[in-house]
Amino acid sequence: MNIDLLTLKRFVIAITVALVICGPAESAFAGPPSLADVIDSVQPKIVKIYGAGGFRRLEAYQSGFLISSKGHVLTTWSYVLDTDYIVVVLNDGRKFQAELLGADPRLEIAVLKLDEADDTPFFDLAEAVPLRNGSRVLAFSNMYSVATGNEPASVVHGLVSAKTTLDARSGMFETPYRGPVYVLDAMTNNPGAGGGALTDHKGRLAGLLGKELKNGLNNTWLNFSIPISEIEQSVEDIRAGKFQSSTSDPDAEPVPDPLTLDALGLVMVPDVLSRTPPFVDRILPDTPAQRVGLRPDDLILFLDNRMIQSYKDLSQELSMIDRATPIRITVMRGRELKEVELTTTP
Amino acid sequence: MKYPVLLAMAVALASIASTAFAQEDAEEQLHKAVQEAVSAVAPSVVRIETFGGLEKVGAVRIGNGPTTGVIVSPQGHVLSSAFNFVQKPSGILITMPDGKRSGAQIIARDHARMLVLLKPDEQKSGMPVPQTVSRDELRQGQWSIAVGRTFGGEEPNISTGIISATNRIWGKAIQTDAKISPSNYGGPLIDLQGRIAGILVPLSPQGQGEIAGAEWYDSGIGFAVPLNEVMPHIEKMKNGEDLHRGLLGVSLKQGNTFADPAVVAACQPNSPGAKAGLKKDDKIVEIDGKAIKRQSELRHALGGKYAGDTVHVVAMRGDQKIEADITLTDKLTPFEHPFLGVLPKRATGQKGVTVRHIYPDSPAHDAGIQLGDRITHLADREVANAASLQEMISTLDEPETISLTVDRGGKSVEVTSKLAGQPTEIPGELPLARDDRDEFKGDRPAVGEVEVKIPAETNTCVAYVPASYDPEVPHGLLVTLHAPGRFNKNATLKRWTKFCDENDLILLAPKATDDKKWDRTEIDFVQKAIDNISDSYHVDRTRVVIHGQQGGGAMAYLVAFTHPELVNGVAVVDSTMPRGAHPPANDPVRRLAFYTTMSGDATQRARIEAGVKQLRDMKYPVTVKPLDEAKAKTLDDAARAELARWIDTLDRI
Repeated sequence: MNIDLLTLKRFVIAITVALVICGPAESAFAGPPSLADVIDSVQPKIVKIYGAGGFRRLEAYQSGFLISSKGHVLTTWSYVLDTDYIVVVLNDGRKFQAELLGADPRLEIAVLKLDEADDTPFFDLAEAVPLRNGSRVLAFSNMYSVATGNEPASVVHGLVSAKTTLDARSGMFETPYRGPVYVLDAMTNNPGAGGGALTDHKGRLAGLLGKELKNGLNNTWLNFSIPISEIEQSVEDIRAGKFQSSTSDPDAEPVPDPLTLDALGLVMVPDVLSRTPPFVDRILPDTPAQRVGLRPDDLILFLDNRMIQSYKDLSQELSMIDRATPIRITVMRGRELKEVELTTTP
Repeated sequence: MKYPVLLAMAVALASIASTAFAQEDAEEQLHKAVQEAVSAVAPSVVRIETFGGLEKVGAVRIGNGPTTGVIVSPQGHVLSSAFNFVQKPSGILITMPDGKRSGAQIIARDHARMLVLLKPDEQKSGMPVPQTVSRDELRQGQWSIAVGRTFGGEEPNISTGIISATNRIWGKAIQTDAKISPSNYGGPLIDLQGRIAGILVPLSPQGQGEIAGAEWYDSGIGFAVPLNEVMPHIEKMKNGEDLHRGLLGVSLKQGNTFADPAVVAACQPNSPGAKAGLKKDDKIVEIDGKAIKRQSELRHALGGKYAGDTVHVVAMRGDQKIEADITLTDKLTPFEHPFLGVLPKRATGQKGVTVRHIYPDSPAHDAGIQLGDRITHLADREVANAASLQEMISTLDEPETISLTVDRGGKSVEVTSKLAGQPTEIPGELPLARDDRDEFKGDRPAVGEVEVKIPAETNTCVAYVPASYDPEVPHGLLVTLHAPGRFNKNATLKRWTKFCDENDLILLAPKATDDKKWDRTEIDFVQKAIDNISDSYHVDRTRVVIHGQQGGGAMAYLVAFTHPELVNGVAVVDSTMPRGAHPPANDPVRRLAFYTTMSGDATQRARIEAGVKQLRDMKYPVTVKPLDEAKAKTLDDAARAELARWIDTLDRI
């Protein structure tokens, strides 16, 4: 058969049109992205965090991930962040000093801000996806601090074992968080894994990896992650400065007749360290503090919505509040959070 | 050609290409397959809640969260793991597939596979019974899914893994690397078609009891007992009958389980093996058509069988082939070691057994055996030494009367004697076990205080070897396990060195790593330390004793029960048998005797008495030493001297 030039030309045009119509076939031609490609795309967003600890069985490291191009990091709130020198190392080995922007102890999450970070790769929390039972997942973290410098974080592969709520009975779980969690069929209950990222098999963010936690119901260690949907709002609040401490507010000025610890009836553990944690040492009798049930060993976390990280923070914060104003104090008693309202006016 | 035709062809071509390559991602395909498999079995997987009961079993804190079970009958009977009920709950609730909660009772137990059968209080019908798959159809490496109902919500919790092995724990279980834990014990292990391969349970090759193996949760090694092998027995269980491990009643010659052939050393009295006509020295070569070349293979072949199951046994008696269909039993008549009534002299340098001491009122005494007699033959078999005479007497096919040949002052004398049960009294005074010897001048290992180091073990251990140690004299071994937190090397040595010197006894004192308690895993270390000492010194393998006080005593029981082939005596002070401890059945090829002090405290006393009764029912000789109130917690020198004499008599015949 003779194929003349015209037919050939028409055929070529037809094929081109057809390929345009079947455009998506082009990418499908190349096959779905492999797990390796997915992991490559996620790793740059994962960070290694180093801070306080490093003695007894308290490791001085944990994991986190970037949530903005300006170096905001979402991680789990823990003793590791309880220091002025938080160091964050990115996937490519770049090291940054980090500042604790704020924390929400009810969700046990914290947001850090890397000093002078620009154009960092990040997860957009608004694009996080929900998961179902059996969804295949990837968990990224620096468990056991195996990765250092520019080594990528560790990846674990598994699935969602169950989507459930942590039992509200006191003592069953040593965490104040009582919302929905993904129980994972993957080994994430490891030192340093807390704060890492849980993604689906396409690399889309789905959750924050939880800290090491024991399931009091059957005495086993729990591998779990908190869905992003539960923490999104709180992260926004933290970034908006809602949980900031007064020490970071340059315009704040003391008032003429301020609240004092004495007036409230609080005697704190003496301020001898550079950052003395604000523990209550004694409660004075017949005072607002005693009336609302504050106790020795309570750790003051928030005053109104301002994060209190040290004795200095506390006294500075009080110096900005008028004596007559009622205040809300949130304390940590053991593993329970308690919120109380105090006022010096009877 | 026309454009439309060309276009149509081109589109067809391109769309074929696109569908060929727009595959679903492998991860999504797996997710779907898993979801479908789980949905197929989910209606038969139920949630069990328990109320009341103990909080701790032994040292293990038992949680009281929900657990899982599987429906096995249209009436709604539920099979679950015995682990889920170890705390003896006062109330059990099952959430049935229709969403309603029903009270339930345990009506039967499978003691071989650690399962329980529950019956719902409300009569049900038409309940979904799941499909099962035989492990013969499973292949190593294929996907498997563990399903549980411990978290709230409509969907079960799942964990995936592969089938790691199909014939574990002596034939009882399938092994998987899915995460198996209290979150899914009692639930099913399924294949990708939703068929149940087995019920998930904690198991351990070493331990027994409901909680053994639970410490391996989520470790990458988990077990499921094949459901299709239990189903034929469900009717029995529905009638309230318990299932037990099937026993043949045959003791094999001591040696290397993994190398030696399965040669019969003795048949336990009234056992299926004995009734079928098996005899000493028969070699078992086939079970149910499967060739048996080693003792371990016999264990494997019988490991999964229940009492009431029949096995086809083929054995060789010399060149003669013996075949029998034997029905396995659940209980064996406890074996009691027969006793002649003599103590042997040690290190005589002569063959046979020289009589050192004759027990008053014993068969030996009645038969006229005299001090100094040297027993040379039992019937027509030559007696090599005390240990072999002990074994010969224990493995007699008809142990009523025996005929011995003794050498009395150079003359050969025939003696006929009966045999009696083992004594429990300790003789007040004993003649020397051996003649005086000249000081040994040759090469010998270190004596006095010796440090024992075992590679790869963290525990420390000290030994004391008498200064007069002579490698030709067999020495008894006294392993002393301190009360938790109370290891005091100098005090221990001070207390015992005198008795060690006087009685040719080597002392071994390991130290627990944790100050507060001994851990079961340290049983391994004690066994290794005993082996280590036995390699370097001449240890009399008929006089190895584990001694302990309080927690150390409980540990002594555990070491003896886990390694009965290593231990001949357990001597405890102010201790009780640990809860859940299973003494092994008394066996003709090894001897075990017990010594315990009796407490003045009422509760302790009751518990010790219960333990003593249990051991005596199993026909073990138990010596009970009443201690006066003030000293009930520890031995004084007089009691220690008596204990040393008890150890001295362990090689009695």
